[in-house]
Amino acid sequence: MDVRTGFWSIYRETLPILVIALGGGLFAGLVLEGMLESVERFPGLLVMVPVFLATRGNVYGALGGRISSGLHQGLINPKFERNERLINAVIASFINGIGISIVIGFISWGALTLLGRSAAALPELVGIMLIAGVLTSFVMIGGLLLLIFTGYKLGYDPDNLVGPIVTTLGDIFGMAFLFLSVAIIEVML
Amino acid sequence: MVVPSGSLGSWETKSIVSNMFPLLVVLCIIVLWAGITLEDAEELLETYGLLAVMVPTMVDMGGNLGAILSSRLSTRFHLGTTEIDPKDRVLWANIAAVLALAATIFTALAIGAWAIGQVIGAPLGLSTLLLISLTSGMAVAVIAIIFSILATYGSYKLGVDPDDTTIPIVTNVVDVCGMVIFIGVSSLVLGF
Repeated sequence: MDVRTGFWSIYRETLPILVIALGGGLFAGLVLEGMLESVERFPGLLVMVPVFLATRGNVYGALGGRISSGLHQGLINPKFERNERLINAVIASFINGIGISIVIGFISWGALTLLGRSAAALPELVGIMLIAGVLTSFVMIGGLLLLIFTGYKLGYDPDNLVGPIVTTLGDIFGMAFLFLSVAIIEVML
Repeated sequence: MVVPSGSLGSWETKSIVSNMFPLLVVLCIIVLWAGITLEDAEELLETYGLLAVMVPTMVDMGGNLGAILSSRLSTRFHLGTTEIDPKDRVLWANIAAVLALAATIFTALAIGAWAIGQVIGAPLGLSTLLLISLTSGMAVAVIAIIFSILATYGSYKLGVDPDDTTIPIVTNVVDVCGMVIFIGVSSLVLGF
């Protein structure tokens, strides 16, 4: 392949996806900017933000990769049905996604305490992560499956869809639900 | 991924969770460093709110670029190109495309942040934003390229499928580099 042709074909294929990811990132950034006010009420909140966002990518990126391999191999069908493999993969993602969110609360609190920095109470940090983790799981799993199935039926290769879908949805819904969850904990405690 | 026919094999809920959860915990501990960097920069972010607007993109985009390059490289490895050759023209086309994508996206990020700044009334000029975004963005892109090539190549030497472990680790390490470099460059440029 000629270098110049290869260069332009990669650039053209990838740019639209990255532009969509940029839009999601800027929206998430606006929410983060709005959340700065709550940081004084909950020290340690900022520590959890990048970890929470990165974890959304890790958990649901893996689910998306699995679903797209399953579609390629004919193990699952591109629709919401009682397929044992599909159900198992979805349950596993709920467990991973919600479980790791709780772990993030504990690890962040533990690291801040070890470093001798101020941290909000452990139940506050874990509570914020738990609510945000549960809400994000439902939207991410439902949205990801819907988009992959629809894309697959329209003839797109799910492998090329998974990464950008996960990053963009993860940024938008991850930050939005984190914001909501901070508000809920503020009212409750 | 090999799925034994007739059994659920790697599609058992328990096997998915027990394979994945330990890796997720390791990845959290890696990214915790980015979190602590962000918390340290709290005053900087409160003074310049536009920087907070840029944070998620700065953190994700390096990982995105790394993931794009890694998956292209690992497909080529699957197809039989198993050595890194400096005269490999397709490899250079890939690297050049990733750098060009980074230049485009980080220019767009600066312009996007500037436009948001005009709306919410934040005090940073377009040239300052371009300087911060492009300097840190291109640095992260170079790191993403180096890590992706080494990790994909290393996985094959070790006989590990890069999709399962290497790509998530590279993406998360590059995320951390993105945060550290962005906060560092912003502090330098703004003299904070």
